[in-house]
Amino acid sequence: MQEPLVRLMGVTKKISSRVIVDNLTFDIPQGQVFGFLGPNGAGKTTTIRMMVGLMSITEGDITIGGWSIRHHYEQAAAQIGAIVENPEMYKFMSGYKNLIHYARMMPGITEERITEVVNLVGLGNRIHDKVQTYSLGMRQRLGVAQALLHRPRLLILDEPTNGLDPQGIRELRDYLRKLAQEEGTTVFVSSHLLSEMELMCDTVGIISQGKLVDVRALRNAHGEPEAEDTAFIVSDPARAAEVLQSADPTVQGSSVVVRGTPDMVAEMNARLVSAGVNVYGIMPVTRSLEDQFLEVTGGEAIE
Amino acid sequence: MNNFIRLVANENMKIYSRPRTWVMLGLLALFSLAMPVLLYLTGADMDLWTVFTWTESFTYLLNIIFAVVIASDLVAGEFSWGTIKLLLIRPWSRGKILFSKYIAMLLFGLLGTVILSAVGIVSSALLFSGNQAMGAGFEQSRMLDSMLLVLTDLIQLVVIATITFMLSTVFRSSSLAIGLSLLILFTKDLFGMLFNPEKHVWAKYVLLLHTDLSVYIHSPVGPGGTSLAFSIAILAGYSILFLLISWWVFTKRDVTT
Repeated sequence: MQEPLVRLMGVTKKISSRVIVDNLTFDIPQGQVFGFLGPNGAGKTTTIRMMVGLMSITEGDITIGGWSIRHHYEQAAAQIGAIVENPEMYKFMSGYKNLIHYARMMPGITEERITEVVNLVGLGNRIHDKVQTYSLGMRQRLGVAQALLHRPRLLILDEPTNGLDPQGIRELRDYLRKLAQEEGTTVFVSSHLLSEMELMCDTVGIISQGKLVDVRALRNAHGEPEAEDTAFIVSDPARAAEVLQSADPTVQGSSVVVRGTPDMVAEMNARLVSAGVNVYGIMPVTRSLEDQFLEVTGGEAIE
Repeated sequence: MNNFIRLVANENMKIYSRPRTWVMLGLLALFSLAMPVLLYLTGADMDLWTVFTWTESFTYLLNIIFAVVIASDLVAGEFSWGTIKLLLIRPWSRGKILFSKYIAMLLFGLLGTVILSAVGIVSSALLFSGNQAMGAGFEQSRMLDSMLLVLTDLIQLVVIATITFMLSTVFRSSSLAIGLSLLILFTKDLFGMLFNPEKHVWAKYVLLLHTDLSVYIHSPVGPGGTSLAFSIAILAGYSILFLLISWWVFTKRDVTT
């Protein structure tokens, strides 16, 4: 088992006597897209600011690739690329000069790498214009570019889809998944947009009022969806429940609900048919992340 | 060390990418040229170094004001633009980032000094080289005095700009930093009268009495009977204190913008 890339150990942030983040402890393995989900004011941004060293940690510690943010900040920060909230850039300089600025602060970034990243985020023909002429979406792309320059092992994005149009969101999503799968980059994304997280993340951690409420896997290690609740609509629910005994079924009206991956569901269907039960329909009972989210945060809502 | 130079290069890039920096440097050059021309047109019978000293006394004040403007934005600007976040998440300690900004500020003050001295001396020499008011032997010491005047003004610039730098770091407001610094620059002679070291013994420790070291060019005794070494010690002591305050505030602060 590989050492997790990111470890939060009892991380607490107090500002005067107010506890903003309360004893957060979780690990993020390498190559995962980890979603950090919570209502506004739950402590997401504060946690991210502690991870990148913008805020001091009151208690506990965070390690990135084994280096402590508190004690070996320079080594830990070298592995992080981040956008914290809006990617504000130097408006009086061109996008390219902005990238040169950040490239100079990290070792071993060649001009070819800068060009490569510019093409990657699709800013090719506007990169030499001043940033003040950029749209919000273009600034967001430039923000992603500066975060990727040094091929970080950990990419931290705070509310990355803010201000992006649907196409931009889709591109970003595809790109993040590609980074995680092909380059093994660990991605840490925060958002209050549940549906986005569902599409993007392998695992989500849910935070509410500064406390970690739950960590859930949305996909297994191979990037496939986890087992889902599936309903069989059948002629004889009682008989069907008997046949599927091993899968721990529950009878709901004319349907039987079991939990399984797509392959398991297909196999159960074959068993029902061979046992003489008529199957009229098979459908996933999606409990969306939103339901889960509202459930674990006690429905006390997005303020 | 090579890497630290890249940090300074970054700060320079941010300073010199803004048109206003070039406007300020252009004004310095313009006034350094215009003053000797005006004096020439009035038909004044002066030698090169007198003309330059007159020119310098005006243009250097301008240089200090411009250095204050640059210093005020170095830290406060990053906060008001929001760029401080992306700047501080790099693998650099905050102390080094702050220091690179301070170096860039010193370099700007030095560049202004070089421009106003070079343009001032060259234009004075072109227009007034015929006037040999005094003997040739005297010329050398006049030149030395002028150079010393520029040096003492540069020291004054560094002290005032260091105050601005601290205010910019502590208050994160460039307008407040400019306002307070210029207030100090223009009222420091008033303070000299209020806290007269002839009357109060402690007054000789007031920083503002010592920022102008040019009194020592012609006299070995400074305000309140202090010596040059004493004044330099006071200036160094306060400057180090201001830098320590800046460093402490900058490295400890939570960035919440």
